[in-house]
Amino acid sequence: MENLTKKFGNQFAVDHLNLDVQEGEILGLLGPNGAGKTTAILMLATVIRPTEGTAYVGKYDVRKQPDKVRHLIGIAFQEPKMLWVSTPWDVVNWHAKVCGLTTSERKKRVKEVLDAVQMWDARHKTVHALSGGMRKRVEMAKVLVQRPKIAIVDEPTAQIDIVGRHKIWKMLREMRDEGSTIILATNELHEADVLSDRVCIMHRGKLLVCDTPKKLKDSIVGGDIIDIQFEKAPSPKAVEELKSFKEIVNLLQTKPQNLRVYLNHVEDVVPKIMNMFSKKEIAITSMHMSEPSLDDVFAHYTGLTIEEAQKNEA
Amino acid sequence: MNKLLLVIERDVRLFFQYKFLIIMRVIWFISQIALFGLIASRMIKIPEVDYFKYYVAGLSVMTLYSAAIFIGFDIYEDAEHGVFEYLLSLPVSRRQLVLGRSIGGGLRAFIYVGPLIAVSLYVIGSVEPVSFLISLLALFLFAFGVSGMSITFAVLIKSSDRFDILMGVLDALIVRLSTAMYPLAVVQASNPTYGTIASFNPVTFASDLFRWGANVDAPVLNNPLNPLLGIIAFFAFFTFVGVIIYDRRIEGGGWQ
Repeated sequence: MENLTKKFGNQFAVDHLNLDVQEGEILGLLGPNGAGKTTAILMLATVIRPTEGTAYVGKYDVRKQPDKVRHLIGIAFQEPKMLWVSTPWDVVNWHAKVCGLTTSERKKRVKEVLDAVQMWDARHKTVHALSGGMRKRVEMAKVLVQRPKIAIVDEPTAQIDIVGRHKIWKMLREMRDEGSTIILATNELHEADVLSDRVCIMHRGKLLVCDTPKKLKDSIVGGDIIDIQFEKAPSPKAVEELKSFKEIVNLLQTKPQNLRVYLNHVEDVVPKIMNMFSKKEIAITSMHMSEPSLDDVFAHYTGLTIEEAQKNEA
Repeated sequence: MNKLLLVIERDVRLFFQYKFLIIMRVIWFISQIALFGLIASRMIKIPEVDYFKYYVAGLSVMTLYSAAIFIGFDIYEDAEHGVFEYLLSLPVSRRQLVLGRSIGGGLRAFIYVGPLIAVSLYVIGSVEPVSFLISLLALFLFAFGVSGMSITFAVLIKSSDRFDILMGVLDALIVRLSTAMYPLAVVQASNPTYGTIASFNPVTFASDLFRWGANVDAPVLNNPLNPLLGIIAFFAFFTFVGVIIYDRRIEGGGWQ
């Protein structure tokens, strides 16, 4: 994507996006609703035209050769796109036909995929009679049956239960392993973390940062977190003393008896912390260490958690 | 070509999912013949015209017209359910998409009206095979043309309410200012301007050709070539102009 931009009126939905997607990777576009993920995806899929800049899919320009681009791309939309009088079988089977699958391949794959997304038994029900989660699974089934060179999936597991979610993740990984490049737009932190080879964080139409989930998390100063629970609330003096440790970057008193400490070199600091509180006869009831999440990364770059950003956009 | 056929297939299959609508339309058609046609033909006496047969033939064309118009409403249905975005993301060229929808809209109208035409022919009684086949071909092109016209207006207007109103007005004007329900001489006698408009109306061309093909003894047609050419022009205009307009309106999100 080269300076890919979309404006609606005076509002930038996507603001000069520059990004290279590597062949055969799962690239997660992470951001709250309104970050510009879906608009960027729709431009890639040639459904809407960029206001400025362009994107190349394979070697084809989305502006100049949209027909060629469409032959490489398959998209599962955020909201299922199907008429209520259709049935899952009609939708997926017709999609497979349009995408050029041979008759025998199509019959086999449609059954396989509808089975995998647990829609085979409901294949002849009308879309009207399906739940939101079932419709979403049918939407995903279109891309899974197509196995395009470049698969774009927009919030693929929204409204899907945990078992179905894992199945879809597995199928997306299989698609990647079979050579497809996958662009995953999501506001689910865990999904972006476990599924993406690289994560690009978007906010208000701009790309903030892009790297592997591990590198993104490691890049935060104070990248380790300890949650400490005390028997009684520690004195302000003790808290101040803790703050003075040079490895500690930030400290939050989440409850009177709880402290959340953001720090570097956790393995060196933990003995020092325990020693200090022991000397002051302040009993620690539990100490829990965790790694920063992508939410912490998002907060690091925007000053907001994804949830807060989502609320602001709303 | 294959993709074009798939687009046609989709529209034809979808239309026949609306079973309630189809059943109601068939009841409407039969009621029009059995009630209005029978009763009105006792009241209306036109020299050299068996008004009952005349009306039945015209009714078939009116039904074909309204069935072919339905594709425009499907465009809005697609937009409402986001299916439009889906169709635009498929490996199908915009031309194949609009041509497929136009042909699909016409074809399904034709398939739907087929049994009703058979009922009409049963009521009318006699058929001249060669001229009937020519008139069927003309009705086929007429249905494509109406379908192309409906798609063209649907993508130009972008509001389902306005489209609905426009189609209602168009239906009133196009059908009433045609020979679907009354001979041209009667229209001309009532108002020469009406007569002139009716002479160049595609519904007139289709109705006259169908009566000619179905051998309805009405003084309607000396030369079937003129209405046939009129229908070809109508079909060509709305199919090809429709493709261009559709292409321009939808590429890049202009339909939103």
